[in-house]
Amino acid sequence: MKKECVAMLLAGGQGSRLYVLTGDMAKPAVPFGGKFRIIDFPLSNCTNSGIDTVGVLTQYRPLELNSYIGNDQPWELDRANGGVHILPPYQSATGASWYKGTANAIYQNIGFVDMYDPEYVAVLSGDHIYKMDYSDMLRCHKETGAACTISVMEVPWSEASRFGIMAVDEQDRITEFAEKPKEPKSNLASMGIYIFTWKKLRQYLIEDEANPDSANDFGKNIIPAMLSNGENMVAYRFEGYWKDVGTLDSLWDANMDMLMPGSGLNLLDKSWPIYGRTPVCPPTLIGPKADVGNSAVAKGCTIFGEVKNSVMSTGATVGKGATVSYSVVMPGAVIEDGATVAYAIVGENCHIGAGASVGAGPETVTNPNQWGITVLGPDTLVKPGEKVAPKTMLDKGHNREVKA
Amino acid sequence: MKGMHGIIFSYEKKTGLRELIEHRVHGSIPFAGDYRVVDFMLSNMVNAGITDVGVIMHGKCQSLLDHLGTGKSWDLSRRNGGLTLLPAFAYAENRDGAGQFRGKMEALGCVVDYLEHIRQDYVVLCDSDLVINLPLQDVLQSHMETGADITAVCTSALGDGSDTYFELDETGRVTDTIYNIHTPEGHRCLNIFVMSKALLLNLVEDCMAHNQYSFRRCVLQERGGELHINGWVWDGYAARINTIETYYQRSMEMLRPELRAELFDPSRPIFGKENDAPSSYIDPTGECVNSLIADGCDIRGTVRNCVLFRGVQVEPGADVEGCILLKGTVVKKGAIVRNVITDKYVTIRENSTLMGGENYPLVIARGTKV
Repeated sequence: MKKECVAMLLAGGQGSRLYVLTGDMAKPAVPFGGKFRIIDFPLSNCTNSGIDTVGVLTQYRPLELNSYIGNDQPWELDRANGGVHILPPYQSATGASWYKGTANAIYQNIGFVDMYDPEYVAVLSGDHIYKMDYSDMLRCHKETGAACTISVMEVPWSEASRFGIMAVDEQDRITEFAEKPKEPKSNLASMGIYIFTWKKLRQYLIEDEANPDSANDFGKNIIPAMLSNGENMVAYRFEGYWKDVGTLDSLWDANMDMLMPGSGLNLLDKSWPIYGRTPVCPPTLIGPKADVGNSAVAKGCTIFGEVKNSVMSTGATVGKGATVSYSVVMPGAVIEDGATVAYAIVGENCHIGAGASVGAGPETVTNPNQWGITVLGPDTLVKPGEKVAPKTMLDKGHNREVKA
Repeated sequence: MKGMHGIIFSYEKKTGLRELIEHRVHGSIPFAGDYRVVDFMLSNMVNAGITDVGVIMHGKCQSLLDHLGTGKSWDLSRRNGGLTLLPAFAYAENRDGAGQFRGKMEALGCVVDYLEHIRQDYVVLCDSDLVINLPLQDVLQSHMETGADITAVCTSALGDGSDTYFELDETGRVTDTIYNIHTPEGHRCLNIFVMSKALLLNLVEDCMAHNQYSFRRCVLQERGGELHINGWVWDGYAARINTIETYYQRSMEMLRPELRAELFDPSRPIFGKENDAPSSYIDPTGECVNSLIADGCDIRGTVRNCVLFRGVQVEPGADVEGCILLKGTVVKKGAIVRNVITDKYVTIRENSTLMGGENYPLVIARGTKV
């Protein structure tokens, strides 16, 4: 049945810059903010924006993501017509191939999009933390009659060379696009959120696929091709919180932002709810001698120690005399009595033994280059009394034999 | 069909639950920060592999209807069977109890068409005011092994005089059923009964024909001689929520880690309804200790020995101790609150002081601003 706008959510990336955290799962399935996973943000944005048909393009380690999305019910996307569709690469009569790039992923699913015969297609990333009304962007796209609208935000000039930068005219029409320019001509950075008029995009995807030299990527190929053909391309200015959580530092930052008033990412904001699966566990128990400050705490935690400036995810445990500070503790992790965790990301179901120490503050090292966030991948075992230095990364193979 | 069918009674009864029962039947009383009391028996049934459950309700059942919905939260939204809501309005002409069921047999008599269509060979009957994590499959197993007509779950932990008590012989057979006794003795009945569908239908037909409505009097007592009733003793946690005082005590017990671990045993999880609340934010001006905290709370004041339901706000400088704050309660700046139970969406104004007694907590009705 016909839909005005279909969203295609790129969730296939390995997230290699999240290293041990994405050893067994795709980046969008990584837990965020205590109760959520990263993919809850774009999915909830779709629901809140009135987009009820979403294709989720998966490729890398999709098990955790697939089982999380399940029947789409938490996001009210369990629709008879539309809803969430998981779209893995597939085999066809002429052969099979992985998704070669972001554009190729959509190209391989032209059939899916055509099924809904939409006027517009929104192409979204599965690894951004932001709250955005796509219906407003779509209205802008329609009003300007654009072939492609790209969501942009102003970034500090000093950081502009880290982003894909759009140069625009006075009507915000895009005149130039440069990926990580040394000398940026503007400070409008692409957020990797696009709305295309489907007929146009369809044609460019087919042409791009026919070009053997193409990397089949939106940023590298499709957008430059459309620009050089003089298509009407418009920048949509977004104001608000947005963060690409593709690196360990940015993932940690975004979690900390949630605890900071004025960061723009308000944990308790009710006007634009983020939906997620409700875990089956009782409320959190805070013990008689616990000390919790400036922290987000999800359901099912048991906290007997000290937790400061941290995010505690569902079912995490902090024993007596243990301290957790400036850390993100993911679901089911156990921090035993007397252990210390500071400036760390502790993966799902990690076990930190009594008296162990994981990570430390920047003030503890003499050479700031040697300091960084400590990261434990899911199921990592830290022995009692063990010391894990700042900037260390460990995975489940640490301290035990694990089958590959 | 082998297996068990669940029937839960959740209709208005005279209880000591005061303001908490003003807008609801006892099954939908919020408990332990994130649940309704009915969630416990429902989850026990689901965890024992029961797929079909009927909930007989009557009275102010809107909040229970709203809570149960399609039964999806308990995996009871099924094409065949699943959750069946049995509100009494369709059967009103059968009742002469002045707007209330006078007993379980009368309630069952009103839904006899439903009972006839039960697909399973066995039925478990229970109340909805019990907080328990019970392996019901073990009760059924014992029922089949002993060949009893009725298996009744009971506990050796005594309650008060309003409970029913069994006298058991050495084989576990119930030899006497008594209630309204001054000094409780014997085994306290937990009002969970397993029997065959065939026996249930016979009993309902016979009781209706004789204008008998009470399960306790007409089945357990009057037919106790001819029926083989077996007591199945459960000595784990079991709390009947029937007065404000027990509600308060039982809620505060949830702060004991060993009881919390027993009741919320992850191998037999208690399922509640899903919600969209984010994690709670905790940054107390004083301390936030020895408390149970649900999702979506915003805690900036001092919280000690409390149970906080979803979305409770405690503003900076407020001081809350020994309280149970239901969903959406707001405690404004500087308020001092002791031993108070607030129902949903209560607001406690700035700098006000509310004091209840430890053995007689103050209850604030839903939506009140004090």
